[in-house]
Formats: sequence, C-alpha cells, structure tokens
Amino acid sequence: MTRYLIRRLGQAALVVAGVVTLTFVIMRLVPGDPAVAYAGPRASPAELAAARRQFGLDDPLPVQLWTYVRDLLGGDWGTSLHTRRPVRDDLFQAFPASLELVGAALVVAVVVGIPLGVAAARYKGRLPDLSIRLSSMLAVSVPVFWLALALQTVFASGLGWFPVAGEYDTNLDRTSPLHVYTNVTAVDALFTGNWPILASTLSHLVLPALVIAAYPAGVVAQMTRAALIEESARDHARLERALGFGETAVLTRFALRPALNPVLSLVALVFAYSIVNGFLVEAVFNWPGLGRYAADSIRSLDTPSIAGVTLLVAVLYVAANLAVDLLQGVVDPRVRAR
Amino acid sequence: MRWHKRLLAAGAVAAVTLTAAACAGGKVRGAEGSPQPGASQSAADATFVYVPNLDVVTDWDPASSYSNEIIAMENIYESLTRYNPQTKKAEPRLATSWTSSPDGKKWTFTLRSGATFHTGKPVDAAAAKASIERTMKIGQGAAYIWGAVDKIEAPSPTTLEFTLKYPTPLDLIASAGYASYIYDTTAESGDLKKWFGEGHDAGSGPYTIDSWQKGQETELTLKAYDAYWGGWSGPHYKKIAYRVTPELTTAWQLLQRGEVTFVQRLNAQLFAQASSTPTVQTSQTPSFQNLLTLFNTVSGPLKDVRLRQAVQKAIDYDGLVAAMKGSGVAASGLVPEGLLGYSTSQTPKQDLPGAEALLKQAGYGPGGKRLDLTLTYAQGDSDQDLLVTLLSSALDKLNVKLTAKPLQWTTQWDQGKAKDPSKRQDIFVMYWYPDYADAYSWFVNVFHSAEPISFNLSYLKDAGIDKEIDELPALTATDKTAAEKAYGDLQNKIINEKAAVAVPYVQNYQRAFAKSVQGYTDNPAYPNVVFVYDLKPGA
Amino acid sequence: MTAPGGVLPLRRTPLRRLAGVDRLAVAGAVLLALVVLAALLAPWIAPYPDDGGSATHPLEALVPPSGAHWFGTDQVGRDVLSRVLFGARTSLLIAVAVLVISGVAGVVLGVVAGYAGGWVRDVIMRVTDVFLAFPALLLSLALAVVLQPSVTTVIVAIAVTWWPWYARLTASVAASVATRGFVDSARCLGVPAPVIVFRHVLPNSLTPVLVQLSLDGGGVILTAAALSYLGLGAHEPTSEWGLMVQQGQSLFTTDWWVVTFPGLAILLTAFAFNVLGEGLRARLAR
Repeated sequence: MTRYLIRRLGQAALVVAGVVTLTFVIMRLVPGDPAVAYAGPRASPAELAAARRQFGLDDPLPVQLWTYVRDLLGGDWGTSLHTRRPVRDDLFQAFPASLELVGAALVVAVVVGIPLGVAAARYKGRLPDLSIRLSSMLAVSVPVFWLALALQTVFASGLGWFPVAGEYDTNLDRTSPLHVYTNVTAVDALFTGNWPILASTLSHLVLPALVIAAYPAGVVAQMTRAALIEESARDHARLERALGFGETAVLTRFALRPALNPVLSLVALVFAYSIVNGFLVEAVFNWPGLGRYAADSIRSLDTPSIAGVTLLVAVLYVAANLAVDLLQGVVDPRVRAR
Repeated sequence: MRWHKRLLAAGAVAAVTLTAAACAGGKVRGAEGSPQPGASQSAADATFVYVPNLDVVTDWDPASSYSNEIIAMENIYESLTRYNPQTKKAEPRLATSWTSSPDGKKWTFTLRSGATFHTGKPVDAAAAKASIERTMKIGQGAAYIWGAVDKIEAPSPTTLEFTLKYPTPLDLIASAGYASYIYDTTAESGDLKKWFGEGHDAGSGPYTIDSWQKGQETELTLKAYDAYWGGWSGPHYKKIAYRVTPELTTAWQLLQRGEVTFVQRLNAQLFAQASSTPTVQTSQTPSFQNLLTLFNTVSGPLKDVRLRQAVQKAIDYDGLVAAMKGSGVAASGLVPEGLLGYSTSQTPKQDLPGAEALLKQAGYGPGGKRLDLTLTYAQGDSDQDLLVTLLSSALDKLNVKLTAKPLQWTTQWDQGKAKDPSKRQDIFVMYWYPDYADAYSWFVNVFHSAEPISFNLSYLKDAGIDKEIDELPALTATDKTAAEKAYGDLQNKIINEKAAVAVPYVQNYQRAFAKSVQGYTDNPAYPNVVFVYDLKPGA
Repeated sequence: MTAPGGVLPLRRTPLRRLAGVDRLAVAGAVLLALVVLAALLAPWIAPYPDDGGSATHPLEALVPPSGAHWFGTDQVGRDVLSRVLFGARTSLLIAVAVLVISGVAGVVLGVVAGYAGGWVRDVIMRVTDVFLAFPALLLSLALAVVLQPSVTTVIVAIAVTWWPWYARLTASVAASVATRGFVDSARCLGVPAPVIVFRHVLPNSLTPVLVQLSLDGGGVILTAAALSYLGLGAHEPTSEWGLMVQQGQSLFTTDWWVVTFPGLAILLTAFAFNVLGEGLRARLAR
C-alpha cells in the first residue's frame, strides 16, 4: 500500500508540475506586455523598468518559470489587473461560492440520478428505461447557459418563484449581518444560526444548482444503470433470485451497494467539470463565484486572474482524481497492482 | 462501501480548512468593520441601489477624475454652482451668490458659511482657491475648463475672486461635471493623489465613501455625511450602493423584484416593458451624449484616410437608429442639438458603393486584399452591440473582417492608451458628453493632440486643427457667429477631411427606477448622475 | 464533455460488429443526418439565404414568428430560421475539424505509446495526464483569451484539450493488440516497426475510437457554443448558435424567439450525437 501511495503521489506531483508549466506557457503567449498592463499606460520608463524587474521579465524563460513556481509555492499568485488585489485573495473569496453552488448541484445530481438509474435498470428495455435513458441524454446535451437563461426567465422573472440573481439578498447584510468563517455563505449562516440569510441563500441556490445538476444527474443515471445491469447479471444475483427475492429487491438490496462504487468515483471526477460548467451559469445568475470572476477577467484581459482560476481548477481536478484512486486502492487491493 | 463516505468527509474537511484559512476570525460581511447595533436598523436608513453596466471608479482624484465615477463623485463632492437644465442657468451650490464685472473678466463668488469637508475642516475661500489651483496645476481630465483663469484670490473666508484672461461665463464653468470640485487639499500630508487612490475622499457633499472593492458586484457604497450643511431632517436616502450588472435582463429583473432602485440604461425592448410595469417608473430625456467611433489615424491599416472614409460610409446610420427603437436619435456632426456649433447639414448616410470604391482605390474590397480591423467597445451596452453587428455585417460584404471585443472600460481605455502603437485598436467606440453646456469639450479632449494620450483616441495630430481648437473659447466669449463658423469648419475637417471619427447616434437617456423614488428628474448636464440627496425614499 | 471514466470496453472489436441494428443508434443517426442535411443544403432551403451571412434589415427588427419568418427576426432584422440553418454549418465544421485533428493526433500518439511501451509510453501518458487535468472548457477559455477570438481559435483550443482522450484509449487498445500472435509473427518475420504499427496495430485499434468520436461530437458542439457565448469564438456576422444566444440574451424576456431557437438547435445536435454514440456503445458492449 505504501508503495502504491508513493507512486500515485509522485504521479500527481508530476501532473501538477505539468499543469503549472502549461499554464505558464499559455500565459506567456499573451500578446500584451504584462509590465505595461500593470504599470499603466502613463507609467514613466523608470516605473516600467521597475515593473519589468518586479515581474522578472528580463530573465530567461526557464528562470521566469522557476520564479513563477517559487512564487506560487510561497502563496504569491500574482496581482489581478482588474481588482488590483492579490489573485490568491480573490480566489479565496470566489471559490467558496462556487463550491457552495456545485456542492448543492452534485447533491441534487446524486439524489435524482441514482433512483432514476435504479428505475431504468429495473425496467430494462421497457418504456421507463427508454424514457430515462433519453432524458438523461437530453440532460447531458443541453447547453447550460441557455438552460440557465430559460429557467431564470420562466421561474424567476415570469412566475416569481425564485430570486433572479445573486447569492442572497444583500439588504440582509444590514438587518442580520453574517459572520464569515468559511466564506461558504450557506454553511456560515447555518452554523451562526443566521436564518434569514440561510433561507435567502437557499432560495437563491435553487435555480443555478438545478441547471448545473443537469449534466452530472444525466451521467450518474447512466452510470448507475450500467453498473446495476452488470451487477445483476452476476452469480450472486442469480442466487438471490433463486432464493425468492423480487427483481426490485435484488437491485436495491444487493446490487446497488457494489454498483455505487464506480458511480461515486464518477461524481468526484465530475466535480471539476461542474465547476467549469458552472462558470457559464454563474455569469447568468450573477453568482459571486469563480465563474463570474473568470468572466470579468476575460472582459478585462486579466491574464494573472485567468491563470489563477485555471491553475486552481486543474489542481482541484488532480486532487479529486488522486483521492478517488487512493480510496479505491484502500478498498480494492487489485487496483494497487495496476 | 465505507470508502466513499470517508471520501466525502475528507473533501468536506479539506474544503472547510481551505476556506477557513482564508478568512479566519468571523469577519462581518457587507458592512466594512463592525455592525452598529441599534443605530442603523430604522426604516429611515433607506439605501439607494444604483445599477451601472460598467465598473464605477477609474480615478478617485477630484482633480483628474474624468470618467464613469462621476455617478459617485457628484454625490461626494460639490462645485461652486450647479447647472439647471430647465432654466439653462447655474444655481447656488457651495457658492450662494456671485457677480461679474461689466467686462466679464472679474468674477466674485460668495461662499456658503457652515459647510465642512468630510475631513472636518470648514469649506472656505482659501480651501476653494487651493483645490482649483491644484486641479489646474495637475492639468489632467477636464482641468482645461479653468483655462481662462488668470488669478484666484481669497480676500475673506467667504469671498472668492477670479481674474480672467478673457471674458467667459465662469458661473457655468464652475458647474462643470468634472474638475470643478472643491475639496480639502490638506486632507493628507503625504502623497494626496495616492491617498485618494486608496479610496479616501475629501469632499463636502452629502455622502462619503463607505466601502470600495473594485471588481466586486457591489463595487462601492456611500454613507451619509452627518455634518452635511443641508442637514438630514426629513426623509433622505442614507446610503448609496453601486451594483455593477453587465447583463441587462438581470438588471431589469432585479429592479422588477425591488432588489435595486435605479437602472442607468436598459435596451429599448426592456424600457418599453418597464414603461408598462406598474411597480417601476421610467424617465426619458434627450441628452448631449453621443457615441464616437474613433479611427486610428496613426497606425494600422486605417492610417490610410481612404479606408477610414470607407468605414464611415459603411455604417448603417438610419438602420441603427431604427433598430434602437427610440433609445437614440440620428446625429448630425459632433455637436448634439442644443449646443452652440450644432448644424443640421452633417447628417451622415450609409454609402456602400462609395465605401467599395474607396476600398478598391486602396487595393482592398471585394476581389482585392482582405482587410482585418479590430474594434473595442463597452460590455453590456446593447446599442453598441447593435452598431457592431450592423457594421461588421456591412464590412463583411466589402471583404473587411471586423473583430470586435466588448471590454471593461478601464481595459478598453488602457489598451487605447498603450504606449506601443501596434497594441492599440483600429476602431475605438465610446460615449462623449460635455463637461458643461458647451461643445468645446469634444474638440479639446478628443481631437486636440495630447501627450500622453488621454481621450484623443483617434491619435489625431494636426497643428492647424489644434490651433483652431485653441481659439474656440475666446471666440465663443467674444463673437458667437464666428465661433459657430469655426465649429462648423472644424467638424468638416475632422469628420470629412481627416475622417477621424464617425458619430452614429445621440443617446436618449432612458432610466428605469423604483416606484418608491420621489423627486427624480434627469439632469443631462451631469450624465447618468443621480443626485440622491435630493430624492425622497417613499413607501 | 466526455464522461470521465467512460465504460467503453477496451477490447478489439471489428467494425462490422456494429453493423447490427440498434434502435437508439438509428434514431441518433437519423437526427444527425437531418442536421447535416440542414448544414449542407442551408443556402437552398433557408428562406432568406442572405440573412445567414451579412445581410441586415434593421427596419424589420424583432418581428415575432409568423408565416414570413417562422422563427421571427433578430435585433437587426435577420431571419432567425435562416441563421439557425447556417449556424449548423459553423457548428458541424467545428465539430468535424476538432474530432479529425484530435482523433488523428490522439490515435497516432496512442498507437506509438501502446506499441512501443516502456519510457515512450510513460512520457506520452504523463503528458496526456497533464492535459486531462484541464476540463476542456477551462483550457479552451485560457487559450481563447490569449488568442484572437475566431472559429479557428475555437477549433485549436478545443482540439488541444481533446486529443488525450483518444491517445489514452488507443494506447490501451494498441497495447493489447501488440501482444497478440499476429503482431509477434510479423515482428519475427522482420517486418519493420512502422509497418507493423500502421498496417496491423492501427486498424485494429480504430473501432473504439470511432465510437468515442461519435459520443464526443455532442461535447465538442457544446464547448464550442459555450466559447462563442463567452465572446471567445465566432463573431458577427458569422451564424453561430452560441453567439446568437449571447447576442439575444438581453431580449429573452421580451423577444423570446431570438434566443430560444438557436438554443434548441444546440440541444438537438448535441442530443443527436449523444444518442448515436450511446447506441453504438451499447452495441459494442454487447
């Protein structure tokens, strides 16, 4: 196990190194001069030279890469050209909001996707199966930004059931101020007993979370169905049927638990995808997360911020992958041999 | 099966520690600093939430500020006078009365007593003199408005005397939206400009900066200045929040649901919907604000005047105004109707065959080389979107590829000001409005040569044109007919001969705001500004 | 986007095994054929072919759906139906270009990795790991910011993130093929390595890749539309569905048709790809 752990950690470190290098290379493709962008167009030649020195732009590229890595490790992720604040601080502020949104979406996806997958497997080849398969394919085919607009127009603007945009009603900041510990608003509100903000946040969460949940719900339903069908064809299922268990019981009592293994590792992997998919949704619902931050950065040609967002999500993805593999290694020794 | 539970637990722990590390200690969100229990929860503390589509603040220094922040600055700072668009006259603000000598070269302003800066110091003549002199010395933004001033004196704390080089309506100039602010120049002993830049203010207006976080949705909040000379008795908004919302539909829906108070601009369709919605009010006012399409006269393909003229002719002016469905009117030249220098004979028309002929001459056009042009414009402005769609379609027929990028204003402006000419755009789209009711500002700021580049984003550098522009103020003061002729001549040179600019339309200000707001009138002399102190929050 | 950890069986399958009829696959194929036909015939079947290009009619802006304009007109008076039909060309062009580029690059690298094994395989696989760490939209986004927005940028940006999937898939298939008897015999007979790779290993690795390609068509279409929606892809006056949604976004509450139809077109096309891919996969798994 230790050897597997070391090997897998080494691989992950290698990938992270590659991710950092690739981000660095992309950001160096920028046609503009970061020193000019930072110092401003009115900067004197001396100020410009100082900015160049500060960014180390006079050094050879490998040295610049090394400086970049050193700064990243030291917690310096650069300064945003738009907000003029350290990118790391911006990310720390924006990421929890994204986490909140995607977390809620994944809960919805699991709660909706798994029962649908079970139902499809139970009625394999019949009408419920076909309709569930088709709707899950529909769910993974829908352009999220369009779905977001449609739900916003119908359920927020038209019917008025849910708020239009934002994370919670900011007027509440005055009537019941929120004490921030984790920056995840719903969690903070829950733990500090701030019910008005909690209620407001939850109602603001519904629509964007549903939109983001579409894709993971679709793949979870498909995966659950496939895994269950595979599992229910095994010998133990035949035995259970022979013992008189009905088809539903075979699926839910015996086949579901082992089938959930791949499904849940899928959820962990879909997480990073959903964060990025969420970018499009956050822009529509003005959700103060990474996506809106990225959209603002695009319109400000703010490369340090884009690089920061890219790195953060990529590292998150590597971490999710690693966690899944390690835990599978713990559960299933065969994995370690691979 | 245990492993996935552990996975989730591990994930949750990791997430919590990650975020907790960022912000330990339980800071209070929204209100900067600590909440004031008891003091602030009453209904009288209504907040006025203003929705712009672009970032608010580019420059906090009242001397050089010359951009979108006017919507905040006019609530923080005050000038000697304020322009009333109904009477077309200046009205008292920090000055209560003023007189001018018969030859118009000596002006005496009597200042209000009892007014104080947010720093606590009294607003007196010496302070006013110091702030105008600092603004003139820095010489950026709209500082040119004081160009006629020879000498300022402060014989008593309430008397401010100006001696001018040539006669000019100084009471109007003192009402300008920019560079006319009176502020405390002693607010910081060190670098005052840097101090302003950190988000401090030294004005005398009804509101003062509460919090400022660039790039946040609610970028800026202002709070009441308790010692404001006008007092706070009666109903007033005690706070102003500026909530940047680039997406119009979102802005409209927020207003509809009562989450915001005032939306600067919608599109024509949403404005029509707003007009028929009982919970909101609308206001439509003709403005002095027109759209400028500035062509890069110095570098890139548009250095060739024939290509600039071709692009001018490719714009579907009539179609654009039709598609805007009432949010703008056709322009005639650089000067909008209602100002000295306006002429009806400069109405532009689309002329595709003419454009094609010009392109052909330069070796481009259908069958020739492909011309690639870049254009930058403001995010979240549906009228500029329309212009871009129509222009890129028309140019496409002429074998010209237009790459248009919607940007944040600061980004667009910085790119336009880039030191390296090759990094600048070919076409720069922006709005312009006068600093006071006079057309001079279009010419001196946008078409007079200037180094470093500020708003002369067509990079025009023509000694003859510069000279004519420099003569405008004195001419306006002495000989209106000659001034009118000079304006006509300059517009002909800039638009037709140099083809430095095209003017697609003049905006109609279309505001939508909550029914509860009482007393709003649009003052087009202060573009997009809401003087929040003058409003009453209703039920 | 490709479902990570897809359940595609990694074994050699001759293409003819797919020939059997699967209803889903047929349905997907029919849908897709309709979209392809719309794209190919757009200039002839569009009611106002010029509107798919650079024509504008601002005086007829925002006309609701009617007999003359089945899908209504947009903010500058162009027929939305015509633009949706022409938009199929842009979307399919992007999809085909991305799949061909990333498919070829991925398969070549994958076959080399799978056949050669050893350090070559390790290097290639570690590189794919790095690229796979970026969700497709994320890396495309970063690339599209630093490149000028255009259809070509979209193709390059997506292809860069897409090839590793095929490289990995091909590598594992190729590795299993490479250990088979006929490859060994060829090697013993002195057939040069490149010939073995391209004559024997490559053809046998193609089927799963082809199925994966058809599954991924939908993902590419969605990613391309998303990039254009963010203003990083196609620009006016190109007919592109994502761009149409973005341009009409602020009209959704007042003039619903401008946004609704291009959005449905994206949905339908991505759905067609997914149904076809699913059908093929189910067939293959059997």
